[in-house]
Amino acid sequence: MKWRYSLLCMVGVTAGLTFSAIAQEGANSTGSSSAAAPAPTQGIPVARAATPPSAMAKSAADGAENRALRLEGEKRFRTNCGRCHQAPHKFLPRVMATAIRHMRVRAMITDEDMRLILRYMTQ
Amino acid sequence: MVPDLQAATANLIPRLRICYARGGLLPHRGTPPFLCGPAVLLALLLSILFAFPAAAQAPPDEEVKPIPLLTGSTGFIATFDSGEPHLHPIVTPLVLVPIGGRWIFETRATFETDMVQLPGRSGFHGTVAKEVEYVQLDFIANPYMTVTVGRFLTPFGIFNERLYPVWIRNLQSDPLILPIGIGPSNASTGVMLRGGFRADPKFNINYAVYFSVLSTASPVNSDRFAGGRLGIFVPAARLEIGGSFQHGLQDELSNAFGFHALWQPPILPLDIRSEYARSIVGSGYWVEAAYRLSQVPFLQNELRRTQVVGRMQQFFVGENGSDALLPMSTRQFEFGLNYYLIDGLKASSSYGRQFSTGGNKNVWTMSLTYRFVVPLGHAGSE
Repeated sequence: MKWRYSLLCMVGVTAGLTFSAIAQEGANSTGSSSAAAPAPTQGIPVARAATPPSAMAKSAADGAENRALRLEGEKRFRTNCGRCHQAPHKFLPRVMATAIRHMRVRAMITDEDMRLILRYMTQ
Repeated sequence: MVPDLQAATANLIPRLRICYARGGLLPHRGTPPFLCGPAVLLALLLSILFAFPAAAQAPPDEEVKPIPLLTGSTGFIATFDSGEPHLHPIVTPLVLVPIGGRWIFETRATFETDMVQLPGRSGFHGTVAKEVEYVQLDFIANPYMTVTVGRFLTPFGIFNERLYPVWIRNLQSDPLILPIGIGPSNASTGVMLRGGFRADPKFNINYAVYFSVLSTASPVNSDRFAGGRLGIFVPAARLEIGGSFQHGLQDELSNAFGFHALWQPPILPLDIRSEYARSIVGSGYWVEAAYRLSQVPFLQNELRRTQVVGRMQQFFVGENGSDALLPMSTRQFEFGLNYYLIDGLKASSSYGRQFSTGGNKNVWTMSLTYRFVVPLGHAGSE
């Protein structure tokens, strides 16, 4: 009977992974334009102004938002990465993208923290 | 395209009801035998956990494409144990290969030797030990869960999984209780679910549950057990506390449990770490504090790179002995000094005194460690 339970568990996991992959493909195909934008982050104090009429005002608002996200990213970086080791210097963006994925698994940092830290370390 | 789990499970649930109403785990006439039992519920739960949040989740690092990395650490550690010198060069390469938006393959190996002076021969001699510490494939299923299969570091306590590399640890000696709960070669072979998420605006939760199978192929042997670890992290206080549990599924079917805590007071460059572990082979604790002298008002360029470390630990022998643990109850304290030369390069020294019924001894260490990162491809931004 044990092999049946194992088989069923494997089937369940496989089904889940398949559903997940299908859902991911669906999200990519329908939302490719929105995927290029920075990922939304919840609970982050960001100065969000109403849509300004002029491009200059919009640029200023984007700058303020970027600064807020950067500060929050730095804070999350110190809080999360510094728990185990000394904070490393910044790496090249593609190197950092791999390292942060590794640390997401190893240190179990949250999805939101990962995005903010990656943003801080690559911009 | 989003999977319609409601429709998929609508047929299954009535069947399960009938099945359980007619004798719990016994199969119903119209239900295939393998569709009964806890495995069905587990499979259903796994499917839901994987599928639902994934539909609302974009790939994690879509803006920057990751590349394979060769990273890891190398070090040269000299130890004087009761006056006997040991030279201990070590190289620990770690290969990271991201695959697509959600997968990562990672493997770490260790090449090390413990060189000692042999009677009648000049110089130091030792053999190189080679070990694959882990080989695992991770799938980031959703913001709450990562699935890991393969050989992975056993998530019992914090030291083995997070503080073990020589460039990370504050003192080069292992805690006395390190072998408790981590398996015969510090790793498990099987499957693990893990993740971290914000449970409340004030704290995060991280967890790991795993199942390991028996493997007797040295040096990648592992025990058959299941276990888990749960941690709560409070970012404002920079405090993490947690606990680990493990149930053996072979031999004595014994249990092991432990607790851990990490605290970095926000106003001080101070790290406080602690672990407690208990099992049939022994129990004990260690408490470590490391203070970076960056707030000292003089010699700032030098002192901000300097860290003072102290660790106190105690080990108590259990009912069953273990080759990996000390044969008698032991108490030990250590003091160390670390100097961070450049990013990733660290010089360390420490002194420790060990007290046990078998005799007391001094342990001195000096080391130079380096963490390296080599991109395996074009590392510019895309």
